[in-house]
Amino acid sequence: QQKTITGKVTDSNNQPIIGATVTVKGSNVAAQTNGEGHFTISVPGTSALLVFSSVGYEPQEMPVGSNIVLNVSLKTATSNLNEVVITGYTAQRKKDITGSVAVVEVDNMRQIPTGTPEKALQGQAAGVTVVTSGAPGGNSNIRIRGITSVGSTDPLVIIDGTQGNLHDINVNDIESIQVLKDAGAAAIYGVRGSNGVIVVTTKRGKSGKVRVTYDAYLGTQRPLKDGFNIANTQETANAIQQGYLNSGLTPGHKQLGTGNTPVIPDYITPTAAKEGDPNTDPSTYKLYDNQITKTNKVGTDWFHEIFKPAPITSHNLAVSQGTDKSTFYLSVNYFDQQGTMIETYQKRYSARINTTFNLNNKIRIGENAYVFYKRNPGLPDNNQDEDNAISMSYRESPLIPVYDIKGNFAGTGSQGLGNAKNPVAQLRRTANNKDNDWQVQGNVFAEVDLLKHFTARTSFGGFFDNHYWNMFSYTAYENAENNKNPNGFTENYMYNTSWTWTNTLTYNTQIKSHNIKVLVGTEAINNYQRGMFGTRNGYPLTGPSNLTVDPSLWTLLFGPPNGQVTGNLNINGGTNIDNKNPATPIQSSLYSQFGRVDYNFDDRYLLSGTLRRDGSSVFDKSQRWGVFPSVTAGWRISREKFFGSVSWLNELKLRGGWGKLGSISNINPTNAYTLYTQSAPISYYDINGTNNTSTLGIYNSQNGNRQTTWEEDIITNVGFDANLLENKLTFSLEWYKKAISGLLFTPNLAATAGGPPAPFVNAGNIQNTGIDIAATYHGNVNDFRFDITGTFTSYNNKVKSLPGGIKYYDQVSSGSNRFGAFSRLQPGEALGAFYGYQVVGLFQSDDDVNKSPKQDAAAPGRFKFKDANGDGKISDSDRVFFGNPNPKFTAGLNLEASYKGFDFSAFFYTSVGNDVINYVRYWTDFPQVFDGAMSKDAALNSWTPTNTGAKVPRLERGANFSTTTNFNSYYLENGSFLKCKSMVLGYNIPSAKIKQFGIDRLRVYIQAANLFTITKYTGLDPELTGSDLRDNTNFGIDFGNFPSNQKNYLFGVNVTF
Amino acid sequence: KNFLDKKPLGAFSPDQLYNAAGVQGLLVGAYHMVSGEGGVTAGNNYASGASNWAFGSVAGGDSYKGSTPSDQGDVVFIETWAYNANNPYFNLKWQAVYDGAQRANDVIRTMAKVTDLDDASKKVMLAEAYFLRAHFHFEAKRMWNNVPFVDETITYVANNTNVPNIDGSGNYIDIWPKIEADMQKAVNDLPDKQPEIGRANKSAAIAYLGKIYLYEHKYALAKAQFDKIIPGTYGGSGNGQTSGGQAYRLVNFQDNFNAATDNSAESIFAYQSVVNDGSGTNGNYGDVLGFPNSAGPGGCCGFNNPSISLANSYKTDANGLPLLDTYNSTPNVSDPAAPYAGNLDPRIDLTMGRPGIPFFDWGPTPTNTWVRDPGSNGYFSPKKNVYSKSQQGVLSSTETSFWGPTQLDANNVNLIRFADVLLWQAECEIELNNPDRALALVNYVRKRAADPTGWVYKNSDYDAGAGKYKVQTTTADNYLVKEYPAGAFANKTYALKAIRFERKLELAMEGTRFFDLARWDNNTGTVMAPELNAFAAAEKVRPTIFAINNTSTFTARKNEYYPIPQQQIDIENAFGTVNLKQNPGY
Repeated sequence: QQKTITGKVTDSNNQPIIGATVTVKGSNVAAQTNGEGHFTISVPGTSALLVFSSVGYEPQEMPVGSNIVLNVSLKTATSNLNEVVITGYTAQRKKDITGSVAVVEVDNMRQIPTGTPEKALQGQAAGVTVVTSGAPGGNSNIRIRGITSVGSTDPLVIIDGTQGNLHDINVNDIESIQVLKDAGAAAIYGVRGSNGVIVVTTKRGKSGKVRVTYDAYLGTQRPLKDGFNIANTQETANAIQQGYLNSGLTPGHKQLGTGNTPVIPDYITPTAAKEGDPNTDPSTYKLYDNQITKTNKVGTDWFHEIFKPAPITSHNLAVSQGTDKSTFYLSVNYFDQQGTMIETYQKRYSARINTTFNLNNKIRIGENAYVFYKRNPGLPDNNQDEDNAISMSYRESPLIPVYDIKGNFAGTGSQGLGNAKNPVAQLRRTANNKDNDWQVQGNVFAEVDLLKHFTARTSFGGFFDNHYWNMFSYTAYENAENNKNPNGFTENYMYNTSWTWTNTLTYNTQIKSHNIKVLVGTEAINNYQRGMFGTRNGYPLTGPSNLTVDPSLWTLLFGPPNGQVTGNLNINGGTNIDNKNPATPIQSSLYSQFGRVDYNFDDRYLLSGTLRRDGSSVFDKSQRWGVFPSVTAGWRISREKFFGSVSWLNELKLRGGWGKLGSISNINPTNAYTLYTQSAPISYYDINGTNNTSTLGIYNSQNGNRQTTWEEDIITNVGFDANLLENKLTFSLEWYKKAISGLLFTPNLAATAGGPPAPFVNAGNIQNTGIDIAATYHGNVNDFRFDITGTFTSYNNKVKSLPGGIKYYDQVSSGSNRFGAFSRLQPGEALGAFYGYQVVGLFQSDDDVNKSPKQDAAAPGRFKFKDANGDGKISDSDRVFFGNPNPKFTAGLNLEASYKGFDFSAFFYTSVGNDVINYVRYWTDFPQVFDGAMSKDAALNSWTPTNTGAKVPRLERGANFSTTTNFNSYYLENGSFLKCKSMVLGYNIPSAKIKQFGIDRLRVYIQAANLFTITKYTGLDPELTGSDLRDNTNFGIDFGNFPSNQKNYLFGVNVTF
Repeated sequence: KNFLDKKPLGAFSPDQLYNAAGVQGLLVGAYHMVSGEGGVTAGNNYASGASNWAFGSVAGGDSYKGSTPSDQGDVVFIETWAYNANNPYFNLKWQAVYDGAQRANDVIRTMAKVTDLDDASKKVMLAEAYFLRAHFHFEAKRMWNNVPFVDETITYVANNTNVPNIDGSGNYIDIWPKIEADMQKAVNDLPDKQPEIGRANKSAAIAYLGKIYLYEHKYALAKAQFDKIIPGTYGGSGNGQTSGGQAYRLVNFQDNFNAATDNSAESIFAYQSVVNDGSGTNGNYGDVLGFPNSAGPGGCCGFNNPSISLANSYKTDANGLPLLDTYNSTPNVSDPAAPYAGNLDPRIDLTMGRPGIPFFDWGPTPTNTWVRDPGSNGYFSPKKNVYSKSQQGVLSSTETSFWGPTQLDANNVNLIRFADVLLWQAECEIELNNPDRALALVNYVRKRAADPTGWVYKNSDYDAGAGKYKVQTTTADNYLVKEYPAGAFANKTYALKAIRFERKLELAMEGTRFFDLARWDNNTGTVMAPELNAFAAAEKVRPTIFAINNTSTFTARKNEYYPIPQQQIDIENAFGTVNLKQNPGY
């Protein structure tokens, strides 16, 4: 007995509400209002109840009765409890959620000017810790509720229902982001859910007329003013000379003379030459032999030679429309961020088309498609490495000018000035490197409503990525080391693809006060990746005077063919064997079945359960299948009758949950197999003694383990949500415990086992506990409206146990291994905890040395270490845990305010209690470390018998136990910081003035990003990603990090037609 | 479900190797580890190279670590005998030698399943595997003394890889018998000649077995082996020959250190270094730091600088004999202030780059630029591993996948050369009281040194193909080297001193000095500590690293063997049972 109802939905001012949803309660029959607020819906009979809802309004229910026209006025919402958010495979009203789901305020996030959305996620969601760098297109450490693995902790990212990657999404396309943090929310993602899940939906067309929006900004990024605080030429020379004298040596520096006071030469090539030296005659100039180079007597400011102001631009145009039959959304985006470090940039061109078609009332089909092309050379993975240009800017001696007398690069080829590379040269030489990445992501889907209460959905999606990049290595004639290396050219190509096929069936019904929703589904995922490279060397010089080669010759056609090397790429683009990044090609697959039941009684008692069964190809057949359950419950106390009298508390929900998740992020996909392979640098041998040809050999490349399975993560979560003060204040607090067991580990095998590394085994436990808090306050005083949103994230991470009997693992960082390990993994300690000798001060006198515990090479002015075990001597067993790079908490604060046409917003982010290692000081505080640049601290305020309060040890030549050869707490600093990430002032041009141009809305704004950073850290930026983002056992170490706290000033515009 | 069965791509499963090609490939892979480089876990490291530059040369006083003091700071401790078990250099070497041993075991294990090979071929290949297994364990034995022996029963699958170095009562196990047994199998089954000259042959196995006996101080047994391979022209009765079939003989000295002329009749067993083979790193990787710094050949890194004491060792008296007792007093050779002006053994300039002396065809060694930090590294540059200018890009690498291709060359690393055998035999003969025979053997080596065609000449072009200077009129310095006169070795103490000094001169910078000293010391504390402490005392007043580390002391009956890497002890003992016991004193 169908009948058709029509009507109009308006707001309290009698203005039509466009795109409001009208549903028949207890079924999946729905309609949307059009541009005039009108709707038409077919209902089963007079007993039906219609539900009217729209974002920002309180939903309203109306019985149909005998009406055929229903006009409804919706009240502006004061609470967002009815807001529908997308969670795992389904959508839920906020008030029904029992798991831990953080809903990101996407508008706040968009205020951060970056091309990479995960950077903008920082501080926007309680429970999510993001550590990032300033490198354009650089990657970040993302941790959802602590560190869940010794390897990668990157969360699973689901975009419109398909596994994807947040990194290159156009932030303007994002409709919503939810972060699923606990097992109740994420267990439906089973073996992939342990690191948390970020669920992204992209925009779709809305009912009404065609909407055109144009958003753009352009701005300038300003390098940090102070750089690394490096001493000038005279100060550096004094320090080096003093090092000789303090060591009882006759000064023997090649440039500075043998006297007690250094003589700054006029030239550094010829070595220590004075004006008038015949070899300084430009006619005698010759690369290598006499590369005439004047001393920079003031001192080159290398930091500001490579960091320059740089522009940032974004243009976004979106067109969308929806009718009751179809919706479309089209956007194009151009993003161009020049790095403040010269020759670095990220440029991206992207387009998205999202459509849906309602074939009839019962069948909907649609697609989401995103295509982008990006250029981001300079390989962001090179951040945090002692050999990158940032590091060279604190390593290269200030005596060296950028250029020699002929305009060629100057460098450490001039004698006695260390082994650093000229960072300007390093970067300039990358200018013509190419990097082209094309990706297509998306899915197609169809939904059918069956019977009365069922909806079936199928979705097929995925991505493919074609990435091509190349690089030319020039002969760096100006350097002290490797200055005659043949030039070479490498081309790389990577193909990476993944598809996901998901089928779900949903049942939805309401029987009196019982609301039941059931979802069952299956999913199949297939991944395949392969890549290759080719290299040739010895390209003909087209610029013989400076050993350059015209980029148009950069093909694999030049140079001697026997110098050509080809091979398959590792995932990370290198050529070393790396368990975490096996050499391509690789393939893996996942097949899953899952289900979910949501039940609520009278919107008061909520109960939800999920179950997923996953089978993964990365394990042996016998260990492949896992089952991941979760249960959650909620109690909306405020719906109880006895609660009615509490006026200031509008909503209170208690909730808790328990569940099990897994992780396979960090396993080598062939881990179950014992394998042998051929590899030229590892197993070939010139058995014929030819000097130039090897015979092919074979070696055991990996041991297999058939017992290995996923990491298991059991999460317990309790919390409450409350709305107070007429829903003006919403508050949510959660406590959680994540117990991760069966960590995927490659234990250290005794060398007597042979060369192949241990396979991953399940061993060791870690645990995170913590508290997440989110609060929002909406207020207004007449026309002045304001919102305050705060997030608070804390986690306390501990290693609980390691594989049987193992006491610890020392963790060498990929940024540098000059000290060996910086951190030690040991039960009872946090992941990444810094381990080494504790400096208690500097020895002040011979007497002090004699009275102190016996220490190798102890002497006045050198480090005095703590005798931790009290045995009267300093030995390896006196090393202690002296720092923890994990913050005690991080917090974000968004302030928004508007008054008439003006709006203002600000975002602050703080990290408190994170220790950092300032490894820069290894290079800048000790003249015996390569005679490079010196810090002002060391040059001007080192220990002397009369400057006994100094922190920097005595300047010396010797490298020994009490000076530079071990890792100790000298390098430790407090890395807490508060950053003002963004401040925006906007103005909406009154509509009366712009209507005539057909413009609905025109807003202009000015913005300052990173206006200030408050920190005690003496380096550039205490926010430090790991040098290997896939390794969470060491981070917070400054190896030459692209700072993320550089000021940006922007001007932007938002236009809607 | 088939959907979840994803085979590994780009790798063999073990059963794909149960055939001739498979096991042959594994054997080549085992030879690869003679380089000391390229193991999956150890990778390429300066520590583990075949030449033992840090453990044998630097720690033995042949050379200084080089570069600035903090560069490769771990070696400072090796250089000044302040090493402890946490020094990563030891662990890297340990990993490399056992990686090699297990690769040899892979050959043995796989051979048992191979069906398409005749027994004769199997026997030879197994003999090569035993040769290599003995070699890798020999390396471990002389480094650490108390080391485990890893045979083919030790596998990851069998879960028995925590191999102990002690027996059930906690006493150290001596693996010499097992090394001997392996090498004896190699002697038994290896052919006289091999189709590929890089493979070990019977003579090489005999020489190595003799070397093993010598390290055990079993002089008669050692002598018996050496007798089998020293040809009649050297007063012996043997018929030793290279894998290529050349009868053993001393060649032009320089030919041992020149990629163009290596694998000569003097080469008994060597790491076959190769460049531009597509590997990037199969050259002489262990020595890549040991090149003259900056503008010199290689362009980096100024490590492994020959010591001033070593240079002084080449002083000769008016009779062309070394100054066994007084060599290290002033004036110092090449001292910029007051240089020594007397006679020199010409091998000095074939062993090191010395200011003003021609360095192949690179011109005279510059006084300033090739030593990175003259304040702590003296005046000299390494030479035996370095290539000539005309060989650049042909016998040095041009492959840029490694950061320092210009420091990689194809110079073989000699593990045993015929001069070695002659001097070992001289030791055996003097220990067995045959002084005349010992004298003759030493004099063969000195006679070769005295051949003026092999010397360095000024104002002359160097012919890299011949390993000689073209015009031989003006010697680069006052060279005078003569044989010991008849009867000179009548006094055994003197003879022993002379023989040992000869090894120093002949084999300097070849990574053997430390191990020779330890062998001669034989755990008595009477040879090595006095020698090296005297060396350090002399060095402390010179522009050397010892001036900065002026408390350096070699501790007798401790420092003769290196500490067992703590990391290995921690792993092997993790489950409560003590498997690896640290060496005494550490």
